[in-house]
Amino acid sequence: MKKCLCSLATLLIMNLTISAQEVKFEEYDLSNGMHVILHQDNTAPVVTTSVMYHVGAKDENPERTGFAHFFEHLLFEGTKNIPKGEWFTIVTSNGGSNNANTTDDRTYYYEVFPSNNVELGLWMESERLLHPVINQDGVDTQNEVVKEEKRLRVDNSPYGKFLEMIKVNMFKKHPYKGTTIGKMAHLDAATLEEFQAFNKKFYIPNNAVLVVAGDIDVAAVKVMIEDYFGPIPRGEDIVRNFPKEDPITEPMRAKAYDPNIQIPAVMAAYRTPSFKERDSYVLSMISTYLSDGKTSKLYKKIVDDKKMALQVGAIDFSQEDYGTYILYGLPLGDVSLDDLVVEMDEEIAKLQSELISERDYQKIQNKFENNFVSSNSSIEGIANSLARYYMLYGDVNLINNEIDIYRSITREEIKMVANKYLNANQRLVLEYLPESDKE
Amino acid sequence: MKTKLYILIAVFFMSLGVNAQIDRSQQPKPGPAPKISLEKPQEFELKNGLKILVVENHKLPRVSFNIAFDREPVLEGEKAGVTALLGAMLANGTTTISKDDFNEEIDFLGARLNIGFGGGSANSLTKYSNRMLELLADATMNPLLTEEEFQKEKEKLIEGIKSDAKSVDAIAGRAGGALAYGKHHPYGEFVTEESVEAVTLADVKAYFEKYFTPNNTYLVIIGDVNTKSVVKLAKKHFKNWEKAATMTTEIVEPNTNPEALEINFIDMPNAVQSNISLTSNVKLKMSDPDYHAVLIANKILGGGFNSYLNMNLREEHGYTYGARSSVGTDKYISRFRAGAAVRNAVTDSAVVETIKEIKRFQNEPVEADALANAKAKYVGDFVLALERPSTIAQYAINTKVNELPEDFYATYLEKINAVTIEDVNRVANLYFTADKARIVVVGKGSEVVENLEKTGIPINYFDTFANPVEKPEFSKPIPEGVTAATILESYIVAIGGLEAVNAVNSVRTAADVTIEGMPFKPTAVMKTMAPNMSSMEMSIEGMGTVMKQKFDGSEGYAEQQGMQRPMSEEELAEKAKEKGLFPETYLDASTLTLVSLTAIDGVDVYKLNVDEDSYRYYDAATGLLVRTEKSEEAQGQTITSVQDLSDYREVNGVLFPFVQKITAGPQVIGLTASEIIVNEGVSAEDFK
Repeated sequence: MKKCLCSLATLLIMNLTISAQEVKFEEYDLSNGMHVILHQDNTAPVVTTSVMYHVGAKDENPERTGFAHFFEHLLFEGTKNIPKGEWFTIVTSNGGSNNANTTDDRTYYYEVFPSNNVELGLWMESERLLHPVINQDGVDTQNEVVKEEKRLRVDNSPYGKFLEMIKVNMFKKHPYKGTTIGKMAHLDAATLEEFQAFNKKFYIPNNAVLVVAGDIDVAAVKVMIEDYFGPIPRGEDIVRNFPKEDPITEPMRAKAYDPNIQIPAVMAAYRTPSFKERDSYVLSMISTYLSDGKTSKLYKKIVDDKKMALQVGAIDFSQEDYGTYILYGLPLGDVSLDDLVVEMDEEIAKLQSELISERDYQKIQNKFENNFVSSNSSIEGIANSLARYYMLYGDVNLINNEIDIYRSITREEIKMVANKYLNANQRLVLEYLPESDKE
Repeated sequence: MKTKLYILIAVFFMSLGVNAQIDRSQQPKPGPAPKISLEKPQEFELKNGLKILVVENHKLPRVSFNIAFDREPVLEGEKAGVTALLGAMLANGTTTISKDDFNEEIDFLGARLNIGFGGGSANSLTKYSNRMLELLADATMNPLLTEEEFQKEKEKLIEGIKSDAKSVDAIAGRAGGALAYGKHHPYGEFVTEESVEAVTLADVKAYFEKYFTPNNTYLVIIGDVNTKSVVKLAKKHFKNWEKAATMTTEIVEPNTNPEALEINFIDMPNAVQSNISLTSNVKLKMSDPDYHAVLIANKILGGGFNSYLNMNLREEHGYTYGARSSVGTDKYISRFRAGAAVRNAVTDSAVVETIKEIKRFQNEPVEADALANAKAKYVGDFVLALERPSTIAQYAINTKVNELPEDFYATYLEKINAVTIEDVNRVANLYFTADKARIVVVGKGSEVVENLEKTGIPINYFDTFANPVEKPEFSKPIPEGVTAATILESYIVAIGGLEAVNAVNSVRTAADVTIEGMPFKPTAVMKTMAPNMSSMEMSIEGMGTVMKQKFDGSEGYAEQQGMQRPMSEEELAEKAKEKGLFPETYLDASTLTLVSLTAIDGVDVYKLNVDEDSYRYYDAATGLLVRTEKSEEAQGQTITSVQDLSDYREVNGVLFPFVQKITAGPQVIGLTASEIIVNEGVSAEDFK
């Protein structure tokens, strides 16, 4: 999908010849480089206004992990025309709900309103892009809030640190080796000047996509968008050059300790390609095959039949630049962590040497079909997908076509991909142990 | 060239247009309220009474089937748990499909199927929906109910009850309902290990036969269907569902509300927070004209972050992470509740503040912007929920089951917006109360009851099964290594050590006496000599000696107003037991019981049971004796006398309490020593 710089007078409209259940949309650019995607659906009187910025934890200074997420919090502190503390009240008193989230790759902000408040949503998002209030008071307040969030979700949470441990071992050069939530010391060290510089560099219309989806009058909304976002000045284009990882050629072992648990866990992690690549889709199907549902391979064998584990699973954690594929298990009783790895390896070996059965293949296809239908079942979900496919995949049509990729994957391909990526000499085995086990 | 000119002109016009018509410093106002269109389901009824409602929605290729049973409340009684067990066993196969095959097929289709006692649902892609309807019908009409599954679920349910035994919130939930409605009311009864043990597979099957019938049952179908074909298919699969004879249920009346506010306290010594829930029964149906006003009123009192209760208990005082209220709606009976989980130390304050907010809410009309914000929230939630097909299904079921007017949902927003400040004030005094209510508090008695008593609200005590009990003994776990013997030893060490203690042969105490309610200020002189001789003489200025008690080692008497009475057999026997001036030196620890670690006025004390009716309390930190307690029969009544000791000061290397307070029934006597002398000023003659 080529991006094009168009003036007001010429707009690009998607030409669709597909069935009524497809998500229809139009997209264009403002003259300041901001990309806009509109989706009209008048069946329910709701509208989502959202902005995704192409900045995440991987863009941070390595001495300032947690910065992008911290900044996301600051953008709720107020703008030139929205007093501090008023953001949430404005949303709820107008019948809406809102949220935001940050990952390693991007930051996303959205509001959901009854559709007669679309202008309010556009005003709010344009306010925080144009002139947010970023001051020391906000920094001090949100520093405490973000640290408290880290305590709640990670430090005091059973198994909360496992992703951090995996990332730091899987990535040696690429910024994915850090975490989105960051380190306490880095959060404390962040300065106001640094936040202002970050704002200036990354929070610019030419690094953002605006999505308006739901019960809208397209012509009226386009005028509002130009009014609120048009005058926002373009910023300097961002150049990105992330270091590449060397391939993993030898097995790695690591240990981590967690004071919040009594039952240990073992994780086997493999480095996989970005979610944009076809192989990543195949790995996603493999993950479903291995661990989704009570009749999935790992669950049925290890938890149900052999009763060796409390829980087993596979997580396909894929991102913009790389992916991490994680198999995990929590042993039951006297079963050792290595025993669990042996059981899980047995299933991988089968995948690598035999084709999965026709019935299992059909089962996976049915599950992906269901997921695909559900993902487009809410305006909020559609808005998120539109933004994500544009910004991170470079192809908005995936919102309708992604299912075709899954449909085209064959049993042979599944076997091939398992052989390419899921090898014992290419992985990390992490023992995630209770603190009380430390000698 | 032309293109460039065109673009230049376009840009020129654009730059003109940039003197925008918007003023960004003004928050945009909402546009006209969006039109709500609610599809009305098409309705059909089968010969066996099953009612089918269909709403077509072709936005996505999926279908949702929902079964809802419209029943009167079910009272399980001694077999409480039978409906839970039945519910857990359903959707695990049918009489013609094994459990594994059933689950495997649903997983294969990527579908979901759930059935409980109240109804069931099935969701899938359009292409598999015919099969799912068939499976749902089969699983609802012919479930596989085996002894093996039954035993498994029974064990799980009992395990669950056991593990909930220490959960403050679980206990608060079950006891709250039982206290509000009554233990023998369908809404108040709860499962216990006993009641679940009593359930058999035959009971489960009998309940299934009785309650899973097409009478008063709805099948709601939403999604990518063709109405005519799907109804035809439903007829095919459900036509053999046999209609049952009409059921008559005995109506059980719920408890009435208390006449005045009372606290119902349930002690859980492991609680780190108190679960506070003020509850009062109300009658409110969705079809009542007050319904919308009550929703708005509750939102303001305790229905969200900015509510009266939350802003007070959380934002102003920091007592809790969240305080909330609710008013239930039900065809038969429901209740108003307000509460929060709070830190132990602030339990009493949280109770007081909760009452205060309810009363403020009743007495003062609400502010206009609180009313507007509450309405906006309801309007927003209503509108946003319309996106989900499950909402439409729920509305269809609600309209039928709750006998709502046909336009209930179509006029919902209008009615919400029409609620006035006067309406809120009126319903605040009808459905909300801090008078005819009970405040159920589940918490750690040893830390909270003392302060709760100070609120002046009468307290009734209950156990975790909502049975009334006497006020419990509040105690803490006794630390490792602490025994009756170590407590006696600690005392001796604390007051000066065995050597110094044994060196005391006699003690003379001169004290000022206060008798509560009496204007006199007597003085007393008390003498003791080892092993057990004692003398007490009380005098009042201007009146001389008014009371004497003497014991010389073998005989004794009491004298008051000139009348002498010799010591009784029992009294002499008691005296004979005394082997020294300090009981801790001769008491046999093996005959004593360490009853508990409890508290007196917030200070931790160990309670020792000496013999039948007598107790000694030692400060857990200092080791000193702070109280003795004795129950005695006097004139046909049991009187407990309590002696509190304090102000320990050293005399001759031994600590003595200089202040005593004796409480015997209604009498309170205080003794403040002005002088204590050891081994001097006492002779054997003093005891005659």
